[in-house]
Amino acid sequence: MGLETEPLLQAWSYFRRRKFELCSQTCSRILEQEPYDQVAWSLKTRALTEMVYVDEIDVDQEGIAEMMLDENAIAQVARPGTSLKQAVGKKFDGPSPAVRPVTQSGRPISGFVRPSTQSGRPGTMEQAIKTPRTASTARPITSTSGRYVRLGTASMLTNPDGPFINLSRLNLANYVQHPYLAKTLFEYIFHHENDAKNALELAALATEESNFKDWWWKVQLGKCYYRLGLYREAEKQFKSALTQQNMVDIFLYLGKVYIRMDQPLTALTVFKQGLDRFPKEVSILCAVARIHEEMNNMSSATEYYKEVLKQDNTNIEAIACIGSNHFYTDQPEIALRFYRRLLQMGVYNCQLFNNLGMCCFYAQQYDMILTSFERALSLAENEGDVAEVWYNLGHVAVGIGDLNLAYQCFKLTLSNNNDHAEAYNNLAVLEMRKNHVEQARALLQTSSSLAPHMYEPHVNFAFLSEKIGDLQSSYVAAQKSAAAFPDHVETQQLIEKLRQHFAVI
Amino acid sequence: MSSSSDSSSREGESRSKWLDAHYDPVAGLNTLSSCIALADLHGDGDFKMVVGDMGHGPYNMKLKVYKGTARMSENALLDLPTGVAAFLMDQNEPRTPAIAVASGPFIYVYKNLRPYFKFTLPAMEVNALEKEVWDQAKEDKIDPVTLKEMLESIRDKAEIPLSVRSLRFLMLELQEMEAFVNTYKQQPLKRQTVITCMGTLKKNMADEDAVCCLVIGTESGELFILDPEAFTILTRVSLSSVPTLLDVTGQYDIEYRITVACRNGNVYILRRDSKRPKYCIELSAQVVGLVRVQKNIMIGTSHETLHGYSQKGKRLWTVTLPASIMTMSLLEQKSRGIQAVLVGLKNMEVHLYRDKNLLSVINTPDIVTGLCFGRYGREDDTLIMTTQGGGLLIKILKRTAQFEDKDTAPGPPTGQSIKLNVPKKTKLYVDQTLRERENAVAMHRVFQMDLYRLRLSAARAYVKALDASLAPVSSTMQEPLTLNAAVQGIGPQFKLILNLQNTSVNRPSMQLLISFLYDEKLYKIKPAFFKVPLLVPGLNYPIETFVECCSDKGISDIIKVFVLREGKSTPLLTAHINMPVSEGLAAA
Repeated sequence: MGLETEPLLQAWSYFRRRKFELCSQTCSRILEQEPYDQVAWSLKTRALTEMVYVDEIDVDQEGIAEMMLDENAIAQVARPGTSLKQAVGKKFDGPSPAVRPVTQSGRPISGFVRPSTQSGRPGTMEQAIKTPRTASTARPITSTSGRYVRLGTASMLTNPDGPFINLSRLNLANYVQHPYLAKTLFEYIFHHENDAKNALELAALATEESNFKDWWWKVQLGKCYYRLGLYREAEKQFKSALTQQNMVDIFLYLGKVYIRMDQPLTALTVFKQGLDRFPKEVSILCAVARIHEEMNNMSSATEYYKEVLKQDNTNIEAIACIGSNHFYTDQPEIALRFYRRLLQMGVYNCQLFNNLGMCCFYAQQYDMILTSFERALSLAENEGDVAEVWYNLGHVAVGIGDLNLAYQCFKLTLSNNNDHAEAYNNLAVLEMRKNHVEQARALLQTSSSLAPHMYEPHVNFAFLSEKIGDLQSSYVAAQKSAAAFPDHVETQQLIEKLRQHFAVI
Repeated sequence: MSSSSDSSSREGESRSKWLDAHYDPVAGLNTLSSCIALADLHGDGDFKMVVGDMGHGPYNMKLKVYKGTARMSENALLDLPTGVAAFLMDQNEPRTPAIAVASGPFIYVYKNLRPYFKFTLPAMEVNALEKEVWDQAKEDKIDPVTLKEMLESIRDKAEIPLSVRSLRFLMLELQEMEAFVNTYKQQPLKRQTVITCMGTLKKNMADEDAVCCLVIGTESGELFILDPEAFTILTRVSLSSVPTLLDVTGQYDIEYRITVACRNGNVYILRRDSKRPKYCIELSAQVVGLVRVQKNIMIGTSHETLHGYSQKGKRLWTVTLPASIMTMSLLEQKSRGIQAVLVGLKNMEVHLYRDKNLLSVINTPDIVTGLCFGRYGREDDTLIMTTQGGGLLIKILKRTAQFEDKDTAPGPPTGQSIKLNVPKKTKLYVDQTLRERENAVAMHRVFQMDLYRLRLSAARAYVKALDASLAPVSSTMQEPLTLNAAVQGIGPQFKLILNLQNTSVNRPSMQLLISFLYDEKLYKIKPAFFKVPLLVPGLNYPIETFVECCSDKGISDIIKVFVLREGKSTPLLTAHINMPVSEGLAAA
């Protein structure tokens, strides 16, 4: 055999090529021979960290505990336009829920699934623990478990003979004196071990060591505080770090803290400052657009996404959001352009073809509709995706008037995803047309219990009950529909009609 | 934000026509407009407010008298008050008015706030059969059970309705009957009606301080006019329904008109010397307020509308209100000769209407249920409002207040000027339509072919799903069922709730079983097998079980639920439950 490479160089090379598993094994071998080799030790910590690393500035999901037991909340009912929490019963900027479906919290659905776009804040504890808690969409109890648990367990499984570093036996004060070791150790504790308390201790010692001059440690302190739910302390650390060093990251962290404290307007001000220092910075622009979107301010969200695209014309989130916005504002042909752009960029998945199919259908490009859906079906990774494709095919079938096919499609949606409330609702409407009142009632009841935020099952139930003469149930259902979508004209007319019924002798 | 709203409310105050005199949100007054009266009880020019308080449910009914902002006295009442009126009984000096309180079948008359006289409505004819039955019970010839049966048969057939005693007896439980019969059988059987509304009518002079007769309407659908001194019945009129609201004008000896709103939705107008109603207004909804303004009658209905009628029963106008009417009352500013009607609405506003024109709106902190306008204390134009929550609000009309009379709805409706937001068609769209026009045939063919293939693949998938009964909705006509499952909890213990519903019209489902398919290394289900009870059509049957996650690896799996028919191995329904990750264990 040829020359053996120097093991450390070999490990370093593995690390550069992102072969972390091999890198960590090589380092382990070095450490077996030379237990006090700091370089190898540091490299191994970095490799282990990189394996589970998630960008902290990415949006994270709010857990049940944070939402229901929010101790930072001052007022139960915030002033309009200053909180992310109130969405239901609000005026919509842009298309109404009759055109653009809404999420559980009453916000229009986004074109890009982020952790916080899925379900919003539930109203009651029961809703919080009940609603879509499946393996793919479960809401964690707290954000400190959630994603970190799922990532952390991977590393737990790969180390059968215990962890690499035993945190409880570590003398943190020693490490602090070696800043390079301390930083890798911190990242290891924070990301790999997911132990915010020890990480905080280390960061605190390190800041003290550096005479409170090192902005990096301040940011890390802030991250630890954030992870522990001490938002005010985190805010203080980030602000202090900002006075020393202008970094895009710090602005994003600070904005994240404010969003968690439900102060979207302050977050927007922070991002504005960030944009003054770093004009046209894409990640900040994206963050601003997300806040606007969450506050139901679709038109300005789209503006910011367009700004993002001017800087970075391959930003998937921006393309998808603008595309979906065009789709729901009655311009499917433009949405089609945006989705095609995604396709050209190499995004090749079920969801995209699903959207392309819908756009083709509404833009009257009939020759491409069904091919897109076929492609989507073959690309579907799980049953949920299959269900969505069948659901859209059901819409196409309704559109071309083939109700039999539509019925089969919605049934297939349900057999793939048992909790598809929209499909239940549509199936009920088809049953209503066949005069199968009892079945329609049962389906609508199921639909409304699965998705109480949707107004459609309520209003359909109201019309059905009114038709068979059950005015009381009809009125109750109409009231629920009006609560979910106050501006719905048919509901208002029905309520008016029922009131007249009740008033007449 | 807050400062601007404050200043605007202060501005509103200075522009408002009303002064806030007193507000007590916890005055504990549960009353209606008909039970509030203002009167100079001691003849000293200081007007007091007399309120018949309905208390809480059947307790604590009281007659309360307020002077200024304080309560002066209260007398207990035996039954719910239905009307309170202050009236002059005689010509004696000093001219202090008496108070009449209608309550049950009695009118209690108070003078100087002391009980003075009790008038009882004349007893009504008792059903002969009923009397006979009770006579037998008195002599212990029949036991309570037979008594009950006989009374029930009388109730169903007889033309003359049963007395209150019999009706109460029929409501009792079996063990209470004996005691009830023993307590009451010795007393003579009487049938009495109750007073539903009360008003006053000047005897023979139109003066402010003239002697008044009382006009009362009863549950038996009759109207009585009582002599103020001797309390004899002067006039008795039968109506075709039960009167609920009264308005009286004129003088008894000369000419008078009584406007009565009845429970059948009709308003009758009676005149002197007519034994039956002169005019009748038929409304499509229940009357909830009746006020006479000069010569017109304003009627508020449960339909959220306010109608104006002439005194001959012709409709003049109709106004639609923003909310349901709670109560109505007359506003009469004698110094200016202004008459208008106050309407308390359910959206916490009190509207003031002169004819069909809205003059002013008062916002109140609670829903107003009682309204009374008149002289209170030494102030001429005082508005007294009682609220649903038991609050008392007193406002004084400013002497400088001017009511502008203008028609509120001139010109075309505002909807006409709003432009519709019609989206423009993009150039892209036009290009696409061009393409469509050029390649119409080819596009159609491709689409049709794809459609056939889709139909085929959909049918295949559908049949596959049907064969395996994968859907949570059963499609067979024999057992139409739906199943929906929900998981609650955060682990390791989860609660699984299965909602099973029979959607057939009238066929109950029997002999169904539920079983589960799951990875036994991951989950424990206890119990994992159910016998489903008989499913009544249309009802939702929640079936609960507990799932325990045995793994601490933070992984999750699908649990399949099958609904089976006894003796058959193919399931009727299948539901897939995507279990959440067990966090209870992982976090600990």
